[in-house]
Amino acid sequence: MRVDPLKKSIWVFHLNTGSCNACDIEILDVLTPYFDVERFGIKLVASPRHADLVLLTGPITRKTLPKVVNALRAVPRPRYVLAIGACAVGGGIWYDTYSVIGGVEELKKILEENGIEIDKIVYVPGCPARPEAIIYGVAVLLGLVEQKVHGEVKIAE
Amino acid sequence: MSLKKLLKPFKLINIARKSGVVTVLYPYQKPLITIEFRGKISIDATKCMGCGACVNVCPPNALTLSRRDDTIILNYFIGRCIFCGRCAEVCPVGAITVTHEFELASTSTRDLNEGLVHHVEKCSSCGGRLGTTSKMLQYVILHSPASENYVHLCPDCRKKRFVQSLAMKIGARTEDYEG
Repeated sequence: MRVDPLKKSIWVFHLNTGSCNACDIEILDVLTPYFDVERFGIKLVASPRHADLVLLTGPITRKTLPKVVNALRAVPRPRYVLAIGACAVGGGIWYDTYSVIGGVEELKKILEENGIEIDKIVYVPGCPARPEAIIYGVAVLLGLVEQKVHGEVKIAE
Repeated sequence: MSLKKLLKPFKLINIARKSGVVTVLYPYQKPLITIEFRGKISIDATKCMGCGACVNVCPPNALTLSRRDDTIILNYFIGRCIFCGRCAEVCPVGAITVTHEFELASTSTRDLNEGLVHHVEKCSSCGGRLGTTSKMLQYVILHSPASENYVHLCPDCRKKRFVQSLAMKIGARTEDYEG
């Protein structure tokens, strides 16, 4: 299936998957007049069916997993995910805990099994991620800026 | 409609004028970063000796040390890092510094990994595996000069050398230990 890239304003849906609410506060910060992402056309919506981008926070606990899969299935294509915070990116300090699946990397495999495709995932590390970091992550997702980090291997002298 | 209701919008305009514009124009304006702000850590490849002190204290195991044949690889996964700065606190040679870098968004987790490859020294007597880097040996010699004769040897050779030196004191000949 061919998916057209986003051309208009992006509407975001906030999906908490068992996070400690620090990242959620930072997301609220982004939406307040202080950072005011509505100047970029980013708007929070109440239903995943209206959303282009899912702001996913938390390490995805086993309890929330079915709901997360359902919510992501409801998002129309193109389906973008912004994994915010250390928990969503790599599991954070819960990466090997029994009750979580450990980040979006693991979720991607489960979604593939269920036949749900995600067009692009952008990882925003931080504990919690700064509001500026979230805005930067959206800019990376839309291709407005080049990403700064590249995995590099150094050799000790 | 009462006069109070009619005047409400004008009241709001007055409040808005008093508070002024509060929005920060982030991408076009520098963000507010204080001195205490902790971002990504940077590991100095010229100073790091691969001792693994940072690996022991890292709460989410973002720093991991893996040994393969004759290399020690220190891997830093930014995605799991909680930016606590304990690694910088505990590093004995001050190789780790906390930077103000926070624009770390990336499209794949592979870009979030940073590696540092150390080469492992070999035993100066038998050529076997020693498991430490040359910088670590220098650090040990610097802090306890008495260990200089034994530090380049593997544990087996170290025992042999020690027993040999004891025996020589008692009166054994060198020929007994050759071959």
